[in-house]
Amino acid sequence: MEEPTTQTTGLDKYTGEWSLTDAAHLLRRTTFGPTLAEIKMGHAMGLDALVQRLIQPSPMPNPPLNANFADDPNVPIGSTWVTAPYVAGENLERYRNQSLAAWTLQQQLQEQFSLREKMTLFWYNHFAVHNINDPKYLYKHVTLLRENALGNFKQLVKEVTLDPAMLRFLNGNQNTRQAPNENFARELLELYTIGKGPQVAQGDYSNYTEEDVIAIAKVLTGWRDIGYRTLNPSVQLHAIFVANRHDTSTKQLSHRFGQAVIPNMGEREYSYLIDLIFQQQEVARFICRKLYRWFVYYVIDESVENAIIEPLADLLIRQNFELQEVVRTLISSEHFFDRLNRGPMIKHPLDFMIGLLRQFEVPQAPNPGPNQTVFFQLYNIASSMDMNYYNPPSVSGWKAWHQEPGYYRFWINGTTLPIRENFSDALAGPGLRFAGHLLRINALAFLDKLDEPADVNALIESCIVALLPQDLTADQKAALKDLLVGGLPDFVWNNEYVAYKTEPGNTNAAALVEGKFRNFIKTMLSMAEYYLS
Amino acid sequence: MKRRQFIRSTGTVLSLPILLKGMPVSAMDKTSIFEFTDPDNDRILVLIQLNGGTDGLNMILPRDQYDNLAQVRGNILMPESRIGVLTDVTGIHPAMEKTRVLYEEGKLGVIQSVGYPNQDRSHFRSMDIWQSASPATEFWHTGWLGRHFGANYPDFPQNYPNSAHPHPFAVSLGRVVSETCEGPNGNFSITLDDPFKLIELFEGMDESAPDTPYGEELAFLRISKAQTNAYSESIVAAAGKGTNTVTYPDNTFARQLSNIALLISGGLSTKVYVVSLGGFDTHANQVEEADKTTGEHAALLQTLSDGMAAFQQDLFQLGLEERVLGMTFSEFGRRIRSNESMGTDHGTAVPLLLFGSCVNNQILGQNPDIDPEVDVREGLPMQYDFRDVYGTVLKDWFGVEEAAIRQLIHPDFQPLPILKVCNLTTSTGNYPLEPSTIQATLYPNPCQQWLYLDVALPDAMQIRVTLLDAMGGQLAVVSSRSLSAGMHQFPIEMRSFPAGTYFVRIQHGQHVTTRRIVKVRT
Repeated sequence: MEEPTTQTTGLDKYTGEWSLTDAAHLLRRTTFGPTLAEIKMGHAMGLDALVQRLIQPSPMPNPPLNANFADDPNVPIGSTWVTAPYVAGENLERYRNQSLAAWTLQQQLQEQFSLREKMTLFWYNHFAVHNINDPKYLYKHVTLLRENALGNFKQLVKEVTLDPAMLRFLNGNQNTRQAPNENFARELLELYTIGKGPQVAQGDYSNYTEEDVIAIAKVLTGWRDIGYRTLNPSVQLHAIFVANRHDTSTKQLSHRFGQAVIPNMGEREYSYLIDLIFQQQEVARFICRKLYRWFVYYVIDESVENAIIEPLADLLIRQNFELQEVVRTLISSEHFFDRLNRGPMIKHPLDFMIGLLRQFEVPQAPNPGPNQTVFFQLYNIASSMDMNYYNPPSVSGWKAWHQEPGYYRFWINGTTLPIRENFSDALAGPGLRFAGHLLRINALAFLDKLDEPADVNALIESCIVALLPQDLTADQKAALKDLLVGGLPDFVWNNEYVAYKTEPGNTNAAALVEGKFRNFIKTMLSMAEYYLS
Repeated sequence: MKRRQFIRSTGTVLSLPILLKGMPVSAMDKTSIFEFTDPDNDRILVLIQLNGGTDGLNMILPRDQYDNLAQVRGNILMPESRIGVLTDVTGIHPAMEKTRVLYEEGKLGVIQSVGYPNQDRSHFRSMDIWQSASPATEFWHTGWLGRHFGANYPDFPQNYPNSAHPHPFAVSLGRVVSETCEGPNGNFSITLDDPFKLIELFEGMDESAPDTPYGEELAFLRISKAQTNAYSESIVAAAGKGTNTVTYPDNTFARQLSNIALLISGGLSTKVYVVSLGGFDTHANQVEEADKTTGEHAALLQTLSDGMAAFQQDLFQLGLEERVLGMTFSEFGRRIRSNESMGTDHGTAVPLLLFGSCVNNQILGQNPDIDPEVDVREGLPMQYDFRDVYGTVLKDWFGVEEAAIRQLIHPDFQPLPILKVCNLTTSTGNYPLEPSTIQATLYPNPCQQWLYLDVALPDAMQIRVTLLDAMGGQLAVVSSRSLSAGMHQFPIEMRSFPAGTYFVRIQHGQHVTTRRIVKVRT
């Protein structure tokens, strides 16, 4: 078999005929799974208006609530815990963590035409904070990411540097004049801003050197977080600068940063440093490659580097690291809509699960208590597929976005495949019961919203548009159709569907259609094609 | 046997595109020219990956250096009396008491200071290097075990499993496949969570996938599903037949080891199992101040040790001991000096543990010399190249020819005496090591412009001499030639290097010595 044709399209705006499948492609890559109605709405809006809707700021969500925990003296049920202190001897972290986890997935589920949740996850993967045992810290951190999801990259790095969760995660809070701790300094360069080039000499990684790590650790000395698991109601989470912990010496960077010298600037020094790092062109390329792998595909060959990454990085620099135009350009480009970029992205577990719930408009539990339990259970299912939102596996984030040669393929293996299939089987079939709520696809409601549900061939085409990134083969369609007509002529489906619609009292007709159609959905959702976006 | 499918079409063979993105051509050519695995070899390797970079000096302790250790890492150093005794000069963390007992029983080998030239201190990159066995300066996209399998089974994954190879080649315990098993066309390992659960995934229809990135990923998904189904049957069958004879500790790591023993005893012919234990990146709070034998690192070492010991006992009682070799690895060791956060930062070489009844029951290599004036950036200098450890495992455990190993792993492969003639067909044995017959003298130390190495050889032999800096960087290869018997002098130019600490590593055959030298300002 030959290698696939290389990508030749660039960043010019997509000018092909704007079709339903184009709108579906854009929405699947930028949101957690559109319904057929949303695809049609996006199609009607046209490319420019839809992209504008996707990137424009929207109000921040309300904070997570105490949905059902009666024993938090500081937080009544129905109120938020995000600023409330802890209580000695009470394990309040547990319910608050569950609340945060459930709330996070609910944001993904409830969002409409916006890529903010996917960008929030992008940043969570980018900074990959974990092992923080205080949900208030995590909420503050993820809120910072959400607020800046399509903001200014440089500003975001500055704010994350002083974010209490980050100060704890990479030991910035223990980085002092007397005892520099270089953990954050190293990752700031290697993973957060400029990236690591080839090691060209001992301790010289092309973009920075070991000496830079040491010098930058000194620049960042003196910061501490306040409020970790605090019991004190008057203490709110924040970072402070402790002058006598700060290294006041003059720091010398390597030739990789033009031998820059950083004099003592106290609490403004970190900001000066980050400005200095961002003067290197490589920072823009580094983040553009990550955005590319997030929205388009993991293979970055020379032609993608030249036709996409370079001009996108130039644009980011011209925009002074404002992300909005860069993302707009990328997701409106002919390259984004290139035939070769339709469907090769393996959905990550949350894209798969939340996408499925959205596409089928699976009803949520009516009350907040049970609903939170449902979403926490969903969070756990995603974790069992190696995607625990608040605990990425390492400081590099999830392997799917950085580990060669597999990339997205890391989501797929003998452990995770059965979990995917059990999930979709259950939702299409008998449902999953959590906290008394049955999470289940309403098959007939989905069917009724398809184009021409009485026409078995049109119905299949409509499902393909709604659910799959590319068309199926004639053999596959025939096999799917067989699930609905069972070897009989096509009109049999029409008769059965019409009977179900026109004879409200005929429960047998409804049950017959529903049974067949559930089996049909179950089959489509377990096809390899459905795992792709 | 495929259960959940559409009606089978005319039998187009599922084709998986060749995925060699970025694989150096030289490395590809290497792997398709020989066929070498001994089919009767029923030996198994269990790899234990310690994620985060374990602090080797808090694991295998140079007891003869205690006073110096107290000067450079006093805030995390346990009392001398608490160190478990392995030999008269070397000790082990007391949390690893059961591993110490394994040593007493002859079932543990320790290799001191294992690393590679030009140590990279990034977790991510260094783990890549350890998993691929690439030189630090090259990016390889296959794993060392994946290349080994790929040389023998170049068509994999197409048409696997089959009647000749019904079982998975490798199993990664957990939820992600191990990069060590990444082959030229796909990963040779399958993941395993619950060996008792039969998996029946929907396989769709055998169709050729289009020749596009979409088609590539589609083919990957389809073959993953088909293989999961097929391998699941053999795993469930083995788990049903197998048994455990000991109670394992109640943690994921130990459960994974117990599943390995279960599957081996149930007849699964898988050659490699990979388990991971994470959390070794102890920049802070590595030990508890009140009792420095406790803390985060001690807890991890105990999990490791107790799991290993239970596993070994199980294998012994199952009569499988001689078929299984265990080996730990970690992306780097940590600094010699501790930091003020009661932790340690990213360092260089790290001891590696081998366990099983076929290991040479020894501590290979010398205790590191701890200089009380050691620079804050220094890690342990490398004594043994990890690629020589891997190569020896391939050679002595899996029966791979040395010539093949030079191509698979590295051209300078030097077998090490780490496995004994047990049920082995070949062995680099020679255990215990004959004392070294060469005499090497380095002078002057401290040096200024030049350093001289005098070597007296009783016979003609090859010796390899390299100069390393304090960070583990290889500055020069002084000699790698065959030399005649007699005296040889090597002048080593030092004037271009800044003042500081350096190491001269001298390797001949299986003997390695690493000598510290100091350059002072002229």
